[in-house]
Amino acid sequence: MPSAALERAKFLVWLAAIVAASWLSDAAWLAAGLGLVLLAAGRAVFRLTRRALLATLAFTGTVSLTYAAWFWWQQDALPLDWLVTVNLRVLLMALLTFLFIERTNLFLALGFSRRLSFLLVLAVSQSLALRRTLDEFRQGLDSRALVRVGLRDRYRAAARAAGWLFDRALANAHESARAMQSRGMFR
Amino acid sequence: MHIPDGFIAPQMYLPLYGAAAGLWAVGARRIARDLDETTLPWLAALTAAAFALSFIALPLPGGTSAHVTGVGLLAACFGIWQAFMALSLVFAIQALLFGDGGVTTLPLNALAMGFAGALAARGVFLSTRRVGQTPALFLAGWIGLFLPAVLIALALGAQPLIAANEAGTPRYFPFGWSVTLPALLIPHALLGLGEGALTVLGGRAIERLRERYRND
Repeated sequence: MPSAALERAKFLVWLAAIVAASWLSDAAWLAAGLGLVLLAAGRAVFRLTRRALLATLAFTGTVSLTYAAWFWWQQDALPLDWLVTVNLRVLLMALLTFLFIERTNLFLALGFSRRLSFLLVLAVSQSLALRRTLDEFRQGLDSRALVRVGLRDRYRAAARAAGWLFDRALANAHESARAMQSRGMFR
Repeated sequence: MHIPDGFIAPQMYLPLYGAAAGLWAVGARRIARDLDETTLPWLAALTAAAFALSFIALPLPGGTSAHVTGVGLLAACFGIWQAFMALSLVFAIQALLFGDGGVTTLPLNALAMGFAGALAARGVFLSTRRVGQTPALFLAGWIGLFLPAVLIALALGAQPLIAANEAGTPRYFPFGWSVTLPALLIPHALLGLGEGALTVLGGRAIERLRERYRND
């Protein structure tokens, strides 16, 4: 069972590591940091690397390719130093975050504030439930249409989904408030 | 929203964290002066709704879609501080629990989208409401998407100026304003039309809900 103090220490170490990594612009130091994080990931190394790459690839890939093409057009060479440094830094910072998510209980780490913990637990639990239902709405619309749904109908569906979302949120807030009152949470 | 860590220089994100922390403190005081069994679940529910709102597809012509930000909708219907705090929590949850977007880009997103976007959207909504609810909501949705895009383009384009090596090679995001401004502003000016339309429809739906809750 992880202790709150340990989780808080992990949170602070992760924050310090992120800030330190963001200052680094030397490929050797970044590679050494990446090596350490990969070692620390242990058995989860391939799963975490895959997640980190998937989370960053769209933005990093687009910027890297565009900059490489622009640099080549301007100077007839590739910006190898920039490509290596920035891509190593992005991967290192993403891996640090995914390792932190994997190894730390954020709810315990933020346990220094009882109200912040409540807020986080309530917000996250409701967010996941709402997201799942919205996905079902989207699948429902697709599965009930024989032909491609038109722009007007897709707007109406999106607006109805947004309306439902706030209806559910209001009801959730009401239910949570009553549950908290009945348990004397703030007394 | 999906700028990963590593592209924003610490010379920018650390001062931005300072500014955001000040606003978070003010926002917390404003809406959480009485953070109790009524206001705490309300903020959590609004955060969850703002989080889930980003999963609603903004329909675009040709069968494609983009993601709704909901800045204009939240600001117009619930106020600046509620929108700012809810959106900041959403960015924090996305960065800390799902690894989506970076923790170093969090203050930029919170200030640009959550604060400036919400402030502009609320201001536009209140000042144009006399003309009619529909144009006011539409403009709030449009500005709530467009203004943050301007600010994020300015912040990204400033990176080569604030962090480059002796040879002038950028250390973080490599493109200047001549690239970031047109690359972000042209598509967002158009996407804002869709966000505006959805803000009108969503705003009407929320108004109907409020009527129903008032009558219950």
